[in-house]
Amino acid sequence: MRDAFSGTFRDTFKVSILPFSALIFGIFLLMLLVYFANSIQIFQKEGIEIYTTNKWIASEDPEKEFYGVLAAIYGSIYSSVIAVVIALPLSISFAVFVIDYAPSKLKEWFIIATDIMAGLPTIIYGIWGAFVLVPFLKDFVMYPIYNHLSFIPFFSFEPLSGYSFLSAGVLLGIMVTPFASSIIREAYRMIPFKYREAVFSIGATRYEATKILLSYIKPAIVAGVILAFGRAIGETVAVSLVVGNTFNIHPSLFAPGYTISSLIANQFGNAFIYEYMVSALFAAGLSLFFVGLAVNLLGMYILRRRVHE
Amino acid sequence: MSWKNWENLAVMGVILVILFSGCIQNSEKPTSLQTPKATVQETVTIIGSGATFPQPQIEKWIDVYSKVKPNVKIEYTGKGSGGGQNDFKQGLVDFACSDPPLKESLWRELEKKGEPLQFPMIIGAVVVAYNIPGIDNLKLDGKTLADIFMGEIEYWDDVKIRELNPDANLPHEKIIVVHRSDSSGTTKIFTTYLGLVSDEWKEKVGAGKTVEWPVDKLGRGDGGKGNPGVVAALKTTKYSVCYTELAYVYKENLKMVALKNKAGNYVIASPQTIKAAASEVSINVPPPTKGYKEDMKAFLNAEGENSYPIVAFSHMLIWKNYEDKARENAIKEFAKWILTFGQKDENIVKGYVGLPPELSSKLIREMGL
Repeated sequence: MRDAFSGTFRDTFKVSILPFSALIFGIFLLMLLVYFANSIQIFQKEGIEIYTTNKWIASEDPEKEFYGVLAAIYGSIYSSVIAVVIALPLSISFAVFVIDYAPSKLKEWFIIATDIMAGLPTIIYGIWGAFVLVPFLKDFVMYPIYNHLSFIPFFSFEPLSGYSFLSAGVLLGIMVTPFASSIIREAYRMIPFKYREAVFSIGATRYEATKILLSYIKPAIVAGVILAFGRAIGETVAVSLVVGNTFNIHPSLFAPGYTISSLIANQFGNAFIYEYMVSALFAAGLSLFFVGLAVNLLGMYILRRRVHE
Repeated sequence: MSWKNWENLAVMGVILVILFSGCIQNSEKPTSLQTPKATVQETVTIIGSGATFPQPQIEKWIDVYSKVKPNVKIEYTGKGSGGGQNDFKQGLVDFACSDPPLKESLWRELEKKGEPLQFPMIIGAVVVAYNIPGIDNLKLDGKTLADIFMGEIEYWDDVKIRELNPDANLPHEKIIVVHRSDSSGTTKIFTTYLGLVSDEWKEKVGAGKTVEWPVDKLGRGDGGKGNPGVVAALKTTKYSVCYTELAYVYKENLKMVALKNKAGNYVIASPQTIKAAASEVSINVPPPTKGYKEDMKAFLNAEGENSYPIVAFSHMLIWKNYEDKARENAIKEFAKWILTFGQKDENIVKGYVGLPPELSSKLIREMGL
C-alpha cells in the first residue's frame, strides 16, 4: 500500500504529462458540451424529428421553420461506406505491394507520393472531382450500368447529372486511401521477420503467406478503416462539389444526395438570419459525434471478438 | 531525475506563454505601426463586411478611392449579406453591404443603438443561363420558367418551350435544374420573381434565401455552392439550366435566356435593359432613414418596353452618427464618392450597372452628405 502510494508521487514524469492528456480530453468534452447546448433549442421545438424527417424549410417566419436532416445523415453514412469499401482493398494491396514487391529504389517514391496525396488540400480533389471524375463516371460507369441493370435497386436511378452518392463515395475513397494505406503499411512493415520466415518455412505460397501475415495485423487494418471512415464522413468541400446537394433519400448509387458536413458548410454562412437554423445545424453536427462513436464501438467489438478467438 | 522532468515542464510552459503572448502582440501591432506614418492628416481605417455579390465592385471602388484619398484605408470582407447585417448590428464593422434590404425587426433593433441609413449603391441582375449544345437563342416567359424550376416540364422539347421557340431544334433530353445549395440573396430574388409571375410557384414553393426545390425530389435537381459552384455544375452538365448573376455569365461566357418582360418583349440582360428597368422602378426606393420599407417585389418585373425583369439593388448600411467624428467624415465622404464618382462608367465593373443619376442625387440629398 505504502509502496504504491509513494510510487505514484515519485513518478513525476507521469504527473507532468497528466495535464496534457487531461487538456485533450477536456477539449473533447467541452466541444461535445457546446454542441449539445446549442442543439437544445431545436430539440425543444422539434424533438427527435430533427433526425427522423427529411424536410428543410427555412422561413423568415419562425413559426414555419422546420428542419429534418435525415437525408443528410443517410447521405453521410452511405457515401462514407462506399468510400471505405473502395479504400480498403486499394490500401491493403498498395501496402503489400510497397513492402513486399516494389523495387527498393521505387519504394520510397511510392511512399512519398501517397504522403503527398494525403496532404493535398481537399479543394484540389473537389475540383478535379467535379470537372473530371463526375463526367467520367457518368459516361463510362453509371450510364452503361444503368442501361443494362436498372432493374436492380442499386442502379435504378438515371444518372442525369452524375452528381451522386457514387461520385462522392469514389472521390472520398481516393482521398482516404493514403491514410488507411499508411497505417496498414507501417503495421505490415513491422511484422517481425521471424514470422515471415516461419510462414514460408511451412511451405506457404506468397499469396497464402500474405493472407496469414495480414490477419496478424488485423487491429491496424481496423484502425485504418475507422480513421478512413472518420475522414470520409467529415469531408466537406470536396464532397459538396460532387454529391449534388439535394435532400434526397434513395437507395440507388446514382442518385444525388446530401451529407451533414456539406450541409453545414452550405448553410452556416447565413444561418443566423433564421431563428432555429443555427441550432438545427449544431444538432446535425452532434449526429456526427454519435455516428463516430458507433463506428468506434463497432471497431472495438471486432477487435475484442478477435481476442476471444 | 525528477527535477529534470519539472524543468522540462517549466520549459514547455514558458514556450506556451511565449506563443500566446506572440498572438496578442501581433494583433496590437498595427496601431503602433500606424502612428508614425501619420503625416498631415491622421490615417483613418474603415472596416466593412457583407454581401459577396457586390464584392468585386466594392474592391474596385476601394482601389480607385485609395488613390484619391491615400489617408483613408478601407477594408471589406465578403461573407454574405446576413453575415454583414450581423456584424453591423454587433458593432464590429463601420459599414455593411447587403443585397436584400433590411427587415423591419432588425431595423428596429438597430434604431436602439443609433440611426441606421440604408441606400442602394449598385444594380445587378439575376439571369437564367443554360447549357444545350446547338441552341443559342432560347426564349422563355415567367410562367414557363417557373414550370421548369418546379420540375413540371420534364423535357427540353416540351410543347410549352417549343411554342416560345418555334425555330429552335430542341432536343428530347431531360432538363437538369441547377440551383444554389447555400442560402443566398440571389435565390431570394429569383424565387420572389417566380412567385410574382406564377401563382403556382408562390403557393407550392414560395420565396426565400433557401427553398425546398420540388425538382430535387424528382432527381433532376442539383445544388451548387455559391455562384462558382452553380456555374461549374452548369458547364459540366449538358441540358442543364441555372440562375446566377450577370457578372458570372460575362466571366464564364455562358448562354443567357431571353426573358419575356411585362410589356411582352423578350429581353436579354445587358447594361441597357437593366438601366431601363432601374429607371422605371427607382421611384420605389424609400428614403435611407426608412430603409426597411424597401420591397424587393417593387423592382421585379418592371414596366417598360426594354426592361429586364429580374433586377435588384445591392445596398450599403452606415450609421448617421459615429462616436469618432474623423471616422464619420471619412465614411460619409466615401459614401458620397460612391454615389457620385463611383457611378461613372469607368469605375463600374463589367456585369454591374450604376444607379440612375436622379436616384443617386436624391439619396445624397436625403442623407445630407
